[in-house]
Amino acid sequence: MPLIHLWTALPLAKLEVGHHFYWHIGNLRVHGQVFITTWFVMAILIAAAFAASRNIQRVPSGIQNLMEYALEFIRDLTKSQMGEHEYRAWVPFVGTLFLFIFVCNWSGALVPWKLIELPEGELAAPTNDINTTVALALLVSLAYFYAGLRKRGLKYFTKYIEPTPVLLPIAILEDFTKPLSLSFRLFGNILADELVVGVLVLLVPLFVPLPVMALGLFTSAIQALVFATLAATYIGEAMEGHGGEHEGAHS
Amino acid sequence: MDPLVASASVLAAALAVGLASLGPGLAQGNASGQALEGIARQPEAEGKIRGTLLLTLAFMESLTIYGLVIALVLLFANPFAS
Amino acid sequence: MFDFDATLPLMAVQFLILTVILNALLYKPLGQALDNRDEYIRTNLQQAKERLQQATELAQQYEQELVSTRRQAQALIEEARAEAQKIATAEIAEAQQAVQAELLKIQAEIDQQKQATLQALEGQVASLSEQLLAKLLA
Repeated sequence: MPLIHLWTALPLAKLEVGHHFYWHIGNLRVHGQVFITTWFVMAILIAAAFAASRNIQRVPSGIQNLMEYALEFIRDLTKSQMGEHEYRAWVPFVGTLFLFIFVCNWSGALVPWKLIELPEGELAAPTNDINTTVALALLVSLAYFYAGLRKRGLKYFTKYIEPTPVLLPIAILEDFTKPLSLSFRLFGNILADELVVGVLVLLVPLFVPLPVMALGLFTSAIQALVFATLAATYIGEAMEGHGGEHEGAHS
Repeated sequence: MDPLVASASVLAAALAVGLASLGPGLAQGNASGQALEGIARQPEAEGKIRGTLLLTLAFMESLTIYGLVIALVLLFANPFAS
Repeated sequence: MFDFDATLPLMAVQFLILTVILNALLYKPLGQALDNRDEYIRTNLQQAKERLQQATELAQQYEQELVSTRRQAQALIEEARAEAQKIATAEIAEAQQAVQAELLKIQAEIDQQKQATLQALEGQVASLSEQLLAKLLA
C-alpha cells in the first residue's frame, strides 16, 4: 500500500496513517497495536467494575458511586430509546458499547501512547482502527436483527414492505447504511481528532494544541454517546415494529 | 505514483473536505439557532434541548467526517495509485 | 488504513467476552443494588408517610381531648361559682331574716315596755293627781 510520507523530514513528530504493527497468528494477520490498547482498556473496565461491585454498600461512595452513576445514565439512555418493558435485557450490550467506546476514545486522547516505541506503527485508540469500529457496528446490526426476530418472529420482515412495498429497496439499503454510517462516523471522528492534534503538534508543539485536545475529549465522549444511543434506537425500533414513524434515515 | 493521479488526488481531497463542511456548517448553525430560540422561549426545557442538540450536531458532524474519510482515502490509501 | 483482516472478528469476540464479564461484574450486582435501594427508599418513604399520618392523627386527638377537658374545667368552675353564689345568697338572706326577726322582737319588747311604763305612769298620774288634789284641798 503506497503511503505519502509528508512529514517524515521534520524532526519533531511525524504523522503515521496506515502503518500497522502486524502480528501473525497461524496464517492470520492482526493489528497488534489495536489489541494491546484494547487489552489495556478492557483491563481498566474490568478493574473498575470489580472495584465497584466488590463491596456493595447501601450508601455508595468512591468508585461504586461513579459506576452507579454510569449505570443509571446507561439505563436512562436505554429506557428512553426502547421503552420501559424491553430495556432491561439490553442494558449490558448497550452499556458495554458505551463504556468500551468511551474508555477507548479517552485512552487515545489521555494516555501518552506515543512514548511507547513499537517496531512499526504506533499505539492509539482502538477506535482509531477501522476493524474495531466495523466489528462493533456489525455486532449492533446482528443485535437488532436478533432483537426483532426474537420479539416479533418472522413478522419482523414485514417491516420491509410496511407502509408500502415501493420502499422495499430503501428499507433493504437501510440495513447496509446503518452499520456503514455507525462505523465510519466513529472511525472518522476519532481519526480526525488524532490527526488534527497531530498536525497541530507538528506545527506548534507547545500549548496551542491544548484547546483542540479538550475539544477532542468532548467529541470523543459525544461519539460514544451517539454510538450507544443509535444502537439502542435501532434495537428499540426493530422490537417496536411499524407502530411509530421510522426514525431510521439518520445520515 | 503517477504525478497526474497524485495532483488530482490532493485537489480532490481538499475539495472533499471543503465541500463536505459546507452543508453541515449551514445546518449546524440553523439547528443551534433554533435550539437557542427554543431555550429562550422555554428556559425550563434547556436540558432536554441541549441533549438533543448535541446529538443532532454529532449527526451533522458525521457528514463532514465522511468527506474527511474520503479525503484520507485519497491521500493515504489511494486505490488508483499503483 | 482500510485493510480488514482477522482483527475484525477477533475484536467482535473480545467485545462479546467483555460484555459477558461486565454483565457478571457490573450490571447484575450494581443493578441489583440500585433496585434494592429504590425498593428500600420506597418502603421507607411509605413508612415515614404512614408514621406522619399517625402522628397527625394523634396530635389531632390530643387537641380534641385538650379542648374537651378545658371545656369541662370551665363548666366545673362555672358550677362551683354558681353554687357559692347560691350559698352566699342564701346565707345573706337568712342573716337578714334573723336580723329582721331580732329587730321585730326588740321592737315588740320596746313597745311592750313602753305600754307598761305608760300604764304605770297612768296609775301614778291618778294617784298623784289625787294627792295633788288632797294637798290643794287641805
